[in-house]
Order: sequence, then structure tokens, then C-alpha cells
Amino acid sequence: MLRLRVIPAVVLTALPLALPVAAQEVLEHKIPPGYQPEQNHDEKGLWLEVEEYEKAVRESALLVEDPEINNYVDSIVCRVAGDYCRDFRVYVIRNPGFNASMTPTGMMQVWTGLLLRAQTSDEVAAVIGHEIAHYTRLHSLERLRSVRKGMAAGTLFDLGLTILTGVQSPFGQAAAMLNLLSFSRAQEQEADLLGAQMVAEAAYDPHATYRIWENLLAEEEAAVVKREEPGLFSQTHPDAEVRANQLEDWVAARYGPPDAELWASDRHLEFLNRNYMTLMEDQIDTNRFGRTQALLERHSAIGVEPALVHFFYGEMFRQRAQEGDDQRAIDAYRHSIEDGQPPPGSYKNLGYLYLKSGENGLAQENFRRYLELAPDASDRAMIEFYLEEDDT
Amino acid sequence: MIYRRILLVLTAYMLHGCVAYSLVEPGTVEVGELQVSPESAWSRASSAAFPFARSGTTVWTQDGLTLNRLMFIPAVPDGEPIFKDREGQMALPKFRATMLPNELEELTASSLGKMFGEGNAVVQTANLRPHRYGDDRGILLDVQAAVTDGPDYKGLAGAFVVKDELYVMLYLAAVPYYYEKDLSEAETIIKGAHLTTLN
Repeated sequence: MLRLRVIPAVVLTALPLALPVAAQEVLEHKIPPGYQPEQNHDEKGLWLEVEEYEKAVRESALLVEDPEINNYVDSIVCRVAGDYCRDFRVYVIRNPGFNASMTPTGMMQVWTGLLLRAQTSDEVAAVIGHEIAHYTRLHSLERLRSVRKGMAAGTLFDLGLTILTGVQSPFGQAAAMLNLLSFSRAQEQEADLLGAQMVAEAAYDPHATYRIWENLLAEEEAAVVKREEPGLFSQTHPDAEVRANQLEDWVAARYGPPDAELWASDRHLEFLNRNYMTLMEDQIDTNRFGRTQALLERHSAIGVEPALVHFFYGEMFRQRAQEGDDQRAIDAYRHSIEDGQPPPGSYKNLGYLYLKSGENGLAQENFRRYLELAPDASDRAMIEFYLEEDDT
Repeated sequence: MIYRRILLVLTAYMLHGCVAYSLVEPGTVEVGELQVSPESAWSRASSAAFPFARSGTTVWTQDGLTLNRLMFIPAVPDGEPIFKDREGQMALPKFRATMLPNELEELTASSLGKMFGEGNAVVQTANLRPHRYGDDRGILLDVQAAVTDGPDYKGLAGAFVVKDELYVMLYLAAVPYYYEKDLSEAETIIKGAHLTTLN
């Protein structure tokens, strides 16, 4: 599971920064394509348990069924996986957080928040490469056997399942805690490096492997409410900054320096533009404005459709509601409209802001435009209420 | 911090098993400063049932809280969320007395998403419309939630603001069956809610 974890700077300085693997060394997969565990083997029992979990994921209400989105992610998985492509089933889950996970059976989950945060398909590939490396190096099995040493056999598989898959049990917080134990520091580093190797072999930019971490760190820095720290387990799990630094050194030593300029992948940009409304609405609903603003700045920089980015700047300012934010929101919605092809919501929320400031004529004008663009809007009755109120 | 969260969840689950219920008879009932008129009997759950409820919140149910619930959240002051954030990690949206209908709708959707657990549900709202609660102007809207490890929910929310304080009435029930079963009565109760005192 790839998830951002940040620990205090004072701890960072105490962590080793030495590269674990020489830049020239080639990391090998431990299993061949099409791998199946042996019968009557502890691994086989684990597979059976995980297959049950996969059935639940397949029926999840949050599963993204849009074929375009699934095809996009599948194509990246297959390109990175190469000969292992057919070993994986990929499920895109609607969740604004940053996460991807892989079970030992080859079930991969990718959250939409990860897709929203990636600037290029290289960065998506970087995360996927990391997850595939966990799979081909049998890290889950190693971890299970390690955990088994300290546990009663009766609870082993249930706990193992949670550790390996991040299943959201009714005890969701307990599952979250167990996730922190999911892979050892050495395994994470191994997956980072083998993942980078696979990404490069698939002709993706290996420098994306650390760039995505740097972006996450910048987002965390901008956050008002920081994510919970890993606490007790921080000493056994490499943090984002250390991982980014190690990867950068390793990738630069092996593949040379990055291109001077980041060029956005047309395909990922096209994906973002096509799905931006849904992806960003979920992000806005998190009410985490520092992170949202950092994301918007990044999206603006990589060339996401300006009318969409400005619309969500408007949403973010309006909902944050700090001093001066109403005016900032008005400016952002106006920009969205000037950019061409704004979401109808730009007019609606501009109308509401003018209503708030007592500029009823402007409010009416924007409300009318909203209904022209969205005649079937489900809030039509509310808008018409204000239009009629002003007429009387 | 993680242990505190685990303890909270475990405690909530343990308490959930000991939730006490009291009967709400049909007729005119006062819920805080709100007056509502149920046509049939409901069960009122004790505060232990809902760890995220802010003080003064009342929760009724017909068949159990995971199947259907009718919540009354009275007099939320300016600057406070409609649910309680026990650890300051939920980033709950806060009510502002200047909020207009679009923002009350967003407040409802985002708060419900947090209630189900951030990332564990997609909450959508629709059909925002005006409604009068006694002498007070307010709104009605439909809600639905797709939840990662539970049934889907649908519901109806009503809200109005008086003297810079927000009043929320929220019906939420599992689909299929439970939502439809009590929708008519819940809608009557929510639409008929009003303050007990004249403003």
C-alpha cells in the first residue's frame, strides 16, 4: 500500500539516508508471470481469504465503473507490468485520498485521489510500479510469515487479510492502525527501487517515482489539519521525505538527471480535463482547503482547463469563507466564465455571492444564465424562488 | 493519537450495544426548541448511540439506527459544525450565519460524508428547494450516500436559520425498503417542524 506518511523533521534527521541498493544492481522478480501458489501451502490459504475480499470490492458502491477511466488505468498497469499484465485485476475506487494497494493475489486498488494528484501518467505508473514490485517480490507472504511468528494461529488469516489488503472492517480505525504495519522498511525500499526499474523499462520517466512524493509533501505542508502521524510505527516505516530523497539519488545515479522541464503527459491531462468535475467535487467535499489550494495551483501549472480550475478556486474560496474570500470567489468565478465553457455552477454561485452582497441585479442575471445553461438543474425551484422574489 | 481514535471507535461500538431507547408517542412533540408532530410511534435513542452528535441532538429510529434514523440538530451557533469533531481531525465544515441555500446544501453533504468516514462514502444532494418552517424560511433537499462497507442510504434534509442559529432535520434510511417505508412520515415530520417560540 502506498500512502503518504509524514513524521516530524526532528525524527527525519535521525533516519539513515544511505542507498540500500547500488544504482547498477538489477533487482529481480521472485515469481514468474502467471504465478499460482502451491496447494496445501500457507500462501494458498491466504489467497482464498483474499479472493473473498475481492468479491466484496467488486460489489463496492464506490467502485468506478466508467470504462474510459478503467481503460486508462488498466493500460498503464499493463505497460508497467509487461509479461505480468494478465496477473492483475485493477479496481478504481472513488475516494479523494491518495492511495493504491495490491493484494498477494494480484488485486490492485487505485483511488481516484491518486489520479487527481498525479501530474502525468508517468507518476501514475510510478505508484503502480511500486505496487507491482510488492507483488512480484512476494512481500505480503514475507510479511505474513513474519507476523505469524508472534501470533496465535487462529487469528492469523483474519489479521493477515487486514494487514495485506487494508480492508475497511467495521473497526475502521483498527484497520488503519494495522495498515501501518503493512510492509517493513526494507520491503518498501525494495518496492520503490524495483518499481522505478519497471517504470523505466516500460519507457515511463523514472524521475516520476520521487516527484510524486515531493508533490505530496508540498500538499501536506499546505494542509491546515495535518494527517495523523504514524506514531509508534514511524520507526519501522520509511517516511515520505526520506523515500523521496533516496529514490531521487538512486534514479539519478542509474538513469541520469531528469529533463530540465516537466512536460505534462497529454493523455493524463486529457484524463483530468474529462473527469475534473467529479474528481474535484470529491476533493472539495473533504473541506480541506490547504490541500485543495495546493492541488489547484499544481493543476493550473500543468495546464488543466482554466475554466475548470478557476471554478474550483471559486468553490474553495467561497466555502473557506475567510476574510476577503467572497471577493476572491467572485473573481475566480468571473475568470472561469471569461475562460470560456465554464461549468454552469460558476453562474449559480456567482449569483448567490451577489445576492449575499446585495447586488440583486447581478444575482438575477447570473441565476438566469445558470438556468439557461442547466435547464434541468435539480435546484431549479430554489433559483426560481429567488428570481420570483426579486420580481415581486 | 491513533490509539485515541481506536479507543473512541471501540468505545462507540461497545456503547452501541447498550444504547437505551425511549418511546416517542404520536402527537405533538417538543425536541429542544423545535416542535414536530409524528403520526406514529418512534424510538428515541440515547446520546450514546451517536458519538458524533453535538449537544442537543435528538435521534429517533423505527427499526434501528443503521436502518433508519431521524435526526434533529437544533440551534447550531455561527462558526460551529453540525456534528461533533472529537479529535479535531475531521475538518468538519462549519455553519456560518450568512450561509445561503447553496452553502447549507454543501454543509449538509460534506458533514454527512465526514459522518460516514472521509473517503468511505460519496454523498450527493439534489432537489434543493425552498420550504417554510412555521414563520421561518428554509430549505429542503434530498440526500443519498453510497457507502463503502454498508448499505446505500437515501434521505431528506430540512434546514432553516433563525437568529443566526441553524436548525437541521435529517432523515436517513437504508435502501431498498427502509427509505421508502418511512419516507412519507419522515417528510411530514420534517416539513411540519417549526420553532416552539415566536421569534
